Amino acid sequence: MTSLALKPVATRSLALLSKAVGYEFRKRIQFRTGFFVREVLNGVVQPLVMLFVYAALYRSASSTGELGDAALRNWTFDEILKYIGGLLIVMKLTFDNRGLELSTEIFEGRITKYLTMPVRYFVLLQARFVQFTLMQVVVASLVWCVGYGLVGDRWLVPVSWSAAGQAVTLILLGSYCAFLLYVTINALAFWLDVVWSLLVMASFVITFTGGAVMPVSQMPGWAATSFGYLFPYWAISAPIEILMGRLGTEAFLRGLVIVGLQLVALDLLRRFVWRRGLARYVGAGM
Amino acid sequence: MTGGTGSRTGAESESLVLEARAVGKSFTTFERQPGVLGVLKNFVARQSVVVHALENIDLQVRRGETIGLIGANGAGKTTLVKILTGIVPATSGEARLFGRDSFELRDQEKARLALVMGQKSQLWWDLPPIDSFRLLKEIYSIPTEAFDRRVAEFTKMLDVEDRLKIQLRQLSLGQRMKMEIIGAFLHDPEVVFLDEPTIGLDLVSREVIRQFLVRLSEERGVTFVLTSHDLEDIEETCKRIVVLDSGRMAFDGDLAGLTAQVTGKRAIEVHVDPHVPIDELALGRDLLAFGAEIAGRGAAAVTVIVDADRLPDLVPALFKLLDVRDLSVERQPLEHLVREIYRRSERDGASVEAARPEAGSA
Repeated sequence: MTSLALKPVATRSLALLSKAVGYEFRKRIQFRTGFFVREVLNGVVQPLVMLFVYAALYRSASSTGELGDAALRNWTFDEILKYIGGLLIVMKLTFDNRGLELSTEIFEGRITKYLTMPVRYFVLLQARFVQFTLMQVVVASLVWCVGYGLVGDRWLVPVSWSAAGQAVTLILLGSYCAFLLYVTINALAFWLDVVWSLLVMASFVITFTGGAVMPVSQMPGWAATSFGYLFPYWAISAPIEILMGRLGTEAFLRGLVIVGLQLVALDLLRRFVWRRGLARYVGAGM
Repeated sequence: MTGGTGSRTGAESESLVLEARAVGKSFTTFERQPGVLGVLKNFVARQSVVVHALENIDLQVRRGETIGLIGANGAGKTTLVKILTGIVPATSGEARLFGRDSFELRDQEKARLALVMGQKSQLWWDLPPIDSFRLLKEIYSIPTEAFDRRVAEFTKMLDVEDRLKIQLRQLSLGQRMKMEIIGAFLHDPEVVFLDEPTIGLDLVSREVIRQFLVRLSEERGVTFVLTSHDLEDIEETCKRIVVLDSGRMAFDGDLAGLTAQVTGKRAIEVHVDPHVPIDELALGRDLLAFGAEIAGRGAAAVTVIVDADRLPDLVPALFKLLDVRDLSVERQPLEHLVREIYRRSERDGASVEAARPEAGSA
């Protein structure tokens, strides 16, 4: 018999998680240019494009040609500016697929070794989520400081500490939902070789229904109502509106319930797909 | 060697650690038709083909046994290892490790096995080996004292003590493989599967790894299942040999018995004039009179296998039968025998009967 006495699963998973987070950090920052492009510049272009498009829209909607005169579906141009500033921060914190690499690992058989180890492979994926979040909290804070330094009070400043807490809670929970969705789609690599296309589609759906192209409350009523039942809205658009003071605690609680339920549902789906996928796995490349 | 679990003897060594009963594995793939029409046909209705990677494999391995699993490319060696380690499920039959269905292993059982893949890195590519080892320490809950002792001991045995803090990607192939093997043994596993661990390595590295495996097998009673194309690996480290051919078991027997067959035989390599044609049929007939047979044929060489005691009669005869330019006599390499096993398996279409090791044959 081996002399090993395994610690409880939770203890082992936690210890492994902390070690793996450190490993992921080192992986991300080992190349400076890559780090700057992927982790800092990423997500900056879309809000800039939005800024130009919105400036043109508000100018054409204004009777005097002044940006500040018009309001589109209850949004003034100043509010849109704050929203775009908020997007810069929130989109940094929302998990995207770039750090996951799971489908490649399945295709290339890199998960094989873990299947013979007393380890939940998902813990290593969670480490990527934790690393992503910790790093992006730092990057987003720096971006917020730079924005505030440049435009002062025209930048998005939380209306209260409570609003900031509520917004961060929704963003992180929503980000975890996005992570679970990406893991599930990646796991389809057990069956399909078109996972990358699905991931691009999922990314677009998340950003659109979440309000990264325009605030959800500015969309047509049917769209705003239906997107309000999906986690991306509560991860992107709603937290910004909470920070701006346009939504209050009641909305936060509603969002918490919706995101919580979808998080559980996505995790169950992720487990189901993973188990079924493993039964089909061929351990390619070994 | 200190620590570890020590040799496992007596009743414990008799127990089965690994068992395969009528194991089969089939894969469904889709046939691709050639040409434009074929592509359209594939698009509308794909034709599936079932490939039988393994058929009816029976294998029983006792604690402390060292098994050499050999076979040509596509013979099913790696598929069998994947099934036995629980990476993929068997399509039919039953594979059990430590008495439990291989595909349903719990963490307790997984902590008792290790897998070394010669063509896939077990360690983390971007980290120095010592960091990967520390991750493995967490995964397997290895006590710090045992971890430090084993790292020091194994790196010394494999002569890579000064390479622990260098990024894995910067190590040579041989050093990487040594690190892989150390990583696999850190948790003191009872059963170790090694899938072509010496592939692409130089002679010195191969030898060091073989000695390491032999030592661990002897001192700790570790059970090995080793797949390799290099029969020297098998000869030096394994006591039992299993030959797979086209997904079927072609031979399962004692390596000592197999080599005994070899030691009584000699391989004569006869170099001939490549421009002078040879009537192989007639030559085969003539050789039969000496109990000899042709084992290989090149453009300018013929390899003949004969019993050692018939050698004095055959060698002068060869000079009459062939236009001999040069001639060398060696012990028959194990490869010839394995090739013969393949041939017989192909010809008979069924498993070649062999003296399967009975209880306590480890």
